[in-house]
Amino acid sequence: MRRTRIIPLLYIAPALLMLSLFVYYPLVRNLVNGFYEWNPFTLDRSFVSIENYTRLFKDPVFYTVLKNNLFYAVISVVLQVGLGLVIAAILEDKLFRRFSTFFRTSFFIPVLISMTVIGILFSFIYNPEVGLLNSFLRAIGLGEWAEGWLGNPKTAIFAVIFVSQWQSIGYAVMLFVLAVQKVPGELYEAATIDGAGKLRTFFSITVPQVKEMTFVLLIYTVTGSFLVFSEVYVLTSGGPANSSQVFSTYLYQKAFIDSEPGFASSIANVILGITLIFYFVQNKVLKTGEE
Amino acid sequence: MKRWMTLAISILVVMSLLIGCSSQSSNSKSEDGKTTITFFHRWPNEPYKSYYKQVIAEFEKQNPDINVEEVTALNDDYKQKANVILGSKNPPDIFFSWVGEYGEKFIRDGVALDLSEYYAADTGWSGQLIESQVEHFKKDGKVYGVPLFTDSKLFFYNKEVFDKLNLKAPTTWDEFITVLETLKGSGTTPLILGNKSPWAAAHYVTALNQRTVPGEVLDKDFSYQGAEFTDPGYVEALEKLNELKPYLNENPNASAHDETRNLFIGGKAGVILLETLEISFLDDAPFEWSSFKVPTIEGAKGDQEGIIGAPEGFMVTKKSAHPEEAMKFLKFLTSKANGEKLIKDTGFASTVQGAVNEDTASEQEVKAMDMIIEAGDMLIWADSALDSRVFKPYGDGVQAMLGGTMTPEEVMKSVQEAAKQVKK
Repeated sequence: MRRTRIIPLLYIAPALLMLSLFVYYPLVRNLVNGFYEWNPFTLDRSFVSIENYTRLFKDPVFYTVLKNNLFYAVISVVLQVGLGLVIAAILEDKLFRRFSTFFRTSFFIPVLISMTVIGILFSFIYNPEVGLLNSFLRAIGLGEWAEGWLGNPKTAIFAVIFVSQWQSIGYAVMLFVLAVQKVPGELYEAATIDGAGKLRTFFSITVPQVKEMTFVLLIYTVTGSFLVFSEVYVLTSGGPANSSQVFSTYLYQKAFIDSEPGFASSIANVILGITLIFYFVQNKVLKTGEE
Repeated sequence: MKRWMTLAISILVVMSLLIGCSSQSSNSKSEDGKTTITFFHRWPNEPYKSYYKQVIAEFEKQNPDINVEEVTALNDDYKQKANVILGSKNPPDIFFSWVGEYGEKFIRDGVALDLSEYYAADTGWSGQLIESQVEHFKKDGKVYGVPLFTDSKLFFYNKEVFDKLNLKAPTTWDEFITVLETLKGSGTTPLILGNKSPWAAAHYVTALNQRTVPGEVLDKDFSYQGAEFTDPGYVEALEKLNELKPYLNENPNASAHDETRNLFIGGKAGVILLETLEISFLDDAPFEWSSFKVPTIEGAKGDQEGIIGAPEGFMVTKKSAHPEEAMKFLKFLTSKANGEKLIKDTGFASTVQGAVNEDTASEQEVKAMDMIIEAGDMLIWADSALDSRVFKPYGDGVQAMLGGTMTPEEVMKSVQEAAKQVKK
C-alpha cells in the first residue's frame, strides 16, 4: 500500500524539482526583488518598499505600454481566435476539402520561421524609401498612403502587431482544423436535414463544439500578447519615442540598458499579475477546463 | 527490484544534470602552466573579427605562456552582456568600454582597475599614445583605460552634385541653409538622416549643443550628479535641428543609419553626417565627395570651432587575477605596428601617434585624424556621455520632435525631469 503511494510521487519528483528550481524559486525571488533597488555592479541592495511600484504607476510610459499590450491582445483575439476559426471552418467545408491541405500548409509555414528572420524581412517590407509596401502603394496610385510605418509613432505598434498576426494565425488555424475535424459528422448531417444554412451550422454547431479549443487559444493568445518581445525588439526596439514599447521590451530596457534591476523586477511582477488576472477571469467566464 | 534500479538511475541522471548546471570551473590557470586571460569586446563581425584573431595569434606566438580567450557581442547586445558578466563573480580580464558616463560608471563602481602605474612604468609605450585621447579615460588624475581608436563626426557631401549647382562647402549656419535650399530646388534629397536608433539625431544635437551652449555649462550637465539641462542653449540647439527638418528625408525615424549611408553612397542624397571611421565605406561611392565641419552659428554662446567625438578602448577589471598579462596584451594591441594594421584592415583610426599616415590610410582619413589631433578636446556624444536614463528621454524626445509630436521646449523639459530623477 505504502509503496504504491510513494511511486507516483517519485515519478513527478524530477519535474517538480525542476519546476521549483527554475520557475517557483525565481518567481518568489523576483517578488522580493521588486521591493529593492540596486546596481548590477556593486550589489548593495537597499530596501525601497513600494517605491518601485508608485514610480511605475506614475510613469507615462507604463500607460503607453499597457495600451499597446491591450491593442495586441484585442487584435490577436479577433484575428487569431475569431478569424482563425472562420478560416478553419472554411477549410474544413466540403467545397474546400480539395485545396484544404495546400492552404493549411501555406498558412502554417510562417509559424515555422524564426521571429528574428521575419522581423528583418518585414523591416525591408516597411522600409520607407525602398520598401515593398510603400513601392506597392505608389504603384497602385495610393502614394499618399505611403508612410514611414515603423518610424511614425501612430503606426509603429500596429505595423508590429500586423507582423505577429501574419505569423501566428497559421497556428490557430491548425488547432481549429483539428478541433473541427473532431466534431461528429452526424451533427452536421442532422443540421443539413433540418435545413440549416452554412452560417447557421457554423454558429450553432462548429462554434459550441470547439469551445474547449477556443478556451485554450484564448489563454494562449492573450498571455502571449502580454509576453510579446521578439517582434517589437527586432522591428522597433520600442521606438520611436516609446510609442511601440510593450511590457517585455520596457522591462528589458530597464534591466539591461538602464541598469535598474529592482525597477525591472517590479515591472515583471505587474506582468505576472495581469496575466494571472486574465487567466482567472477567462477560467471563470468560460467555465470550462474540465476536458 | 528492477524497478528500483531504473528509478535510482533516473534520479542519478537528474541529479547529475543539476550538478552540471551549478559547477563551473573558475580556474584560469590550466594544467599546462599557461595563463588564460579573457578578452571581452564588441566585434564578432568582419573585418574586425579577423583583425583580432590575427593580433591574438601573433601575441600568443610571442608569449607562449599566455592564452587569450575572446568573448564577443555586437553593439547593443554588448551593453546588455556587459551588465551581466561584469557584475558576476568571474568577470573577464579585459573589457571594451565607451567613454563618458558609460565608462565612468565602471570606474565609480570599482569594476575598472587603476592603470596609472602601468602608464608610468612604461613611458616608451604610453608616450606613443595620443595624449588627448588617453585623457578621456582619466578620472581624478588616474588612468583607467587604454584607447584603441578615436572617432569624430563630419558632414560629407556629394561633390559632383555640389559642383553642378555651383555650391561650396558651407562654414556658417546661414550658408548651410542656403546650400540645402538650393539642393532641394534641384530635386535631390538635401540631407539624409537614419534615426531609427535615436543616437543618430543625438549626434546632431551634441554638435549643435556644442555651438549653442557655453563649454562650462556643458561640462557641468554632462557630469554624473551635476546634470540640469536648464540652459536656453539646449532649446536653441533643438530649434536649429528643427530648421533642418524641411530638408531631411521624409521619414528619418523609419530608416536605419546604415541604410541612409548606403543611399548616400548610391547618390540619393546631397549631404550626410557620418563618423570619420565610416570614411572607409565611402570608397565605394562612384562619385567624388568631400567633407566639412558642423557649421558655426552666428551669435550663439558655445564653442564655434570644436568638434564632437570620442575614443573607444579597453579597461581591465579589478577582480582580474592576471592584470600583468592583461596589460601586456593591451600594450601589444596598441603598439605602433598593430595601430597601423588597425587602420589598414578596419578603417579605425588608431590612437597610436603616427599610425594613421599616408601609407596606411586614405587622404581623407589622414585629414580627419589631423583635425582630431589639432582639436585636442572633443565633446563626447550624448548617447555615451549621459546616463542612459537621461539619454533615453533626450533621444526619444528628439525622435518625437522630428516626428512632429513634441516641441523643443517639451523635449528639454522631459530631459530636466529625468536628470532630477537620476540625482535622487
